[in-house]
Amino acid sequence: MTLADAPGYHPVETPDAELVRRTLDGQAASFAELVERHAGPCLRYATRMLGSREDAEEVTQEALLRAHRALARYDGRTAFRTWLMSILINRCRSALLHRRRRDARVVLDESAVQGALVQPEASRSELRLTIERAIAQLDPAQREAFLLKHVEQLSYEEMAALTGAGISALKMRVQRACDRLQDLLRDEHDA
Amino acid sequence: MNTMRDDDVLPPELERAVGPLREAPRPRREWLDHVVEQAAGQRLGELIGDDDWRGARSRRWSAHPAMAIAAGLLCMVAGAGGTYAVMGRARGAGRPSPDVPALQAEAVGRAPVRFTVAAPGAVNVSLVGDFNEWNPVALPMTRLGDGTTWEVEIPLAPGRYTYAFVVDGRLARDPSAPQAARDDFGAPSSVVLVRGAL
Repeated sequence: MTLADAPGYHPVETPDAELVRRTLDGQAASFAELVERHAGPCLRYATRMLGSREDAEEVTQEALLRAHRALARYDGRTAFRTWLMSILINRCRSALLHRRRRDARVVLDESAVQGALVQPEASRSELRLTIERAIAQLDPAQREAFLLKHVEQLSYEEMAALTGAGISALKMRVQRACDRLQDLLRDEHDA
Repeated sequence: MNTMRDDDVLPPELERAVGPLREAPRPRREWLDHVVEQAAGQRLGELIGDDDWRGARSRRWSAHPAMAIAAGLLCMVAGAGGTYAVMGRARGAGRPSPDVPALQAEAVGRAPVRFTVAAPGAVNVSLVGDFNEWNPVALPMTRLGDGTTWEVEIPLAPGRYTYAFVVDGRLARDPSAPQAARDDFGAPSSVVLVRGAL
């Protein structure tokens, strides 16, 4: 599966590269269309990564604005979303680093979960809250690898290109994240 | 597209929990609009920060492929619906001199002001100014039937306004109106004065 096939990504008539070209030609509405198209998937990753909808909106905005400033450097050799995702991953890492420096920790924002819900059912919401809490407890490197693999559904090759980590290291992080999540889910269930 | 491999597959109980997380959240409309506005502001900042624009406006127009557009820029600010008794311009820092008639507005409240510009060959034209925080996406102009004239009408209260057009992503002042003082915005811009009725 590639980024273009990922859930939440809906191919539309005008290709991203064409919207980028039009934006560079001064058509502001084309960038608005890119934002409409990619903001949701970006928020999905950032919300899960940071555990807060508010922080997710902030870093996603930063990523989109950085992308906008750097549009002239987008060469179209990779999918626009891949390019945007690389910026977003870095912004999330910076946000976590900044947060760590403030001696804060990832705290799950219940409103983030509620905001991310799509027509929730009661039982499904409960499971969802549980997995959100469990993901928030993962080590950031494991959380990043797990989300990219199993929520964003990237290939390990794409993940390696985006994160700068080796494929074997990424597989190890994902495996450890899966083990930890299963333990946490079991604990929740037992409790 | 890569095929799914064994290490791409989650254990069933984990898959059941993680699956719903793949739904993308719906962004808030006001947040989306804010991001787009910020991006537009960045774009305007790039335009204004361009030394070529600041230092050599005339040369820019004469040397640029958009010369045809620039040469055709014939702008008019007209009162709409008979609201204004006098058409004219402002000069300097909001101090109209006797030879510079100003737009005459109703004494109280806002009145519609129509901005029109002839920009042959342009694809996108918008109006920016003090009245819309120089947001290039806030006031897109509409191309009229002749294919070259663009128009937008906005309500303005009496006052002095600095404005410009964004023609295909480039700022252009109104050549038929007084140029704003350079320290107004550091960009090519013009001034219009809307006066209250006497």
